[in-house]
Amino acid sequence: MDKKTLATSEAAGAVEARMPFRFPREAVLVLLALAVVWQIISFFVPPFVVPGLDRIWKSLVSLRYDFVLVTLARVIAALIISFVLGIAVAVTMYLWPAVERYGRPLVRLLMAVPVVCWILFSVLWFKWVEFRIAFVLIVVCAPVFVVDFLDGMKGVPQELRAMLRSFRPSRMQFFTKLLLPATLPAILTSWKINLSLAIRVVTMAELVGAVSGVGYGLVLAQELFSVADVFAWTVVLVVILFALEALLNRVETRMLRWRT
Amino acid sequence: MKTDSADIEVSRLSMRFQQTITGDEVVAIRQLDFRIGAGEMVAIVGQTGCGKSTFLNILIGLERPTGGRITIGGREPYAEFDHFRGVLATVFQQDRLLPWRSAMDNVKLPLELLGLAAAEQTLRAASWLERLGLNGFEGAYPHELSGGMRQRVALARAFVVEPKLLLADEAFGHLDEVTAAALRKTFIDLARGQGSTAVLVTHQLEEAIELGGRILVFGRPGHILADIDIANCPPARLATLRGEIQEMLQTNSPSRRPEQN
Repeated sequence: MDKKTLATSEAAGAVEARMPFRFPREAVLVLLALAVVWQIISFFVPPFVVPGLDRIWKSLVSLRYDFVLVTLARVIAALIISFVLGIAVAVTMYLWPAVERYGRPLVRLLMAVPVVCWILFSVLWFKWVEFRIAFVLIVVCAPVFVVDFLDGMKGVPQELRAMLRSFRPSRMQFFTKLLLPATLPAILTSWKINLSLAIRVVTMAELVGAVSGVGYGLVLAQELFSVADVFAWTVVLVVILFALEALLNRVETRMLRWRT
Repeated sequence: MKTDSADIEVSRLSMRFQQTITGDEVVAIRQLDFRIGAGEMVAIVGQTGCGKSTFLNILIGLERPTGGRITIGGREPYAEFDHFRGVLATVFQQDRLLPWRSAMDNVKLPLELLGLAAAEQTLRAASWLERLGLNGFEGAYPHELSGGMRQRVALARAFVVEPKLLLADEAFGHLDEVTAAALRKTFIDLARGQGSTAVLVTHQLEEAIELGGRILVFGRPGHILADIDIANCPPARLATLRGEIQEMLQTNSPSRRPEQN
């Protein structure tokens, strides 16, 4: 095959990788309907119970959006640390079954502890607020990465393992050429689970002692009895979560295009 | 290439397993003794459960025999596992392509493991895909290809390293007869062209005969019922041989032993 043919086939692959944007009509219609119902209800109940959309909008434009960036930075940093830690622990457990036998019950224990307990522990154990928040996020998210990645690696079919081993890969090649790509779907699913988990957990963690972030913004709104602000922050959180999920879905579709 | 010769020496080879559930010992291979010369084409034929695939796994180096010795070019494939990198390649029963890699990337895989330069990998993989009639399908993922095309990619992946020893484990048995015959011919032509030693494991006698070299008939548990050279066999003798081998496979006995090497 000549270079031209190669280039053509690579170009064809690139075109396949580009995905057309589909307008989420149904989602927009549902949200519009919800907004209309909300506005109608707000005419009949006091504004401190259901504030009108105009009040929420006013709050939305006056929110401290630097708090959103702070919260996002906390979530992303904690998720990256959890991911690296989770992969390291999962690989260690995979390579040494004895570590898995002792480690898995511990991981399951960590997963069984309610988030609110971790928040209380962090307040009792640590003084520095940022460390408290990071601790809670990591202890909640890392076990999900550990379990999903470990199970993903163990689920790689024996036939593919034998095929690759017949070519004599190094340990690192076995990991990078087979185990890692084979577990990519599981890793992406873990990211989606952990992303929504982290957004909810970070807000709760920020309620205790933080002086910045969306959680702190919610505390301020509650102290000022500003119900519109509480709803505005809620809208912001939901929008962030949807946006990040959409981004991850995009990444997933691109990286797993071999499945379609 | 580290191993210059790919002659295979099998000496009093045996393999025993312990059943996971019952704990009973199962003999998969019993006292195998034979030699395959470098560049020879050999078909191993036998019924299901006669230890063909176990033997192939030992030959690949994936399993350690429980008794006896097997060497390729004087070296043991299990004990000196890394020595055989780029020396040995296998075509399996199912294509075993990595679903997340395109046809081109699947063929490149063994070259990546050998650490060849990216340009060299692309050139060699493209050349083998072309030789196997897969022009225009370089970017296709395995699920976009037919069974025959996938097995062609698997063949290209095996041949691309230009191995001294080529192994095929029921590689064409799952394909329709027309596709299987075409692929068998391609396999034989390419193996001959490369001068590789080729060992083809099959349960189909016709496939073994088509290879046109030597046939090792395996009985249960893995032992040699007959060692037949069909390369210079006259057509009339070939017809009677078919019946004799069929009988041996059915009775699991070498009672009417044909000509031995």
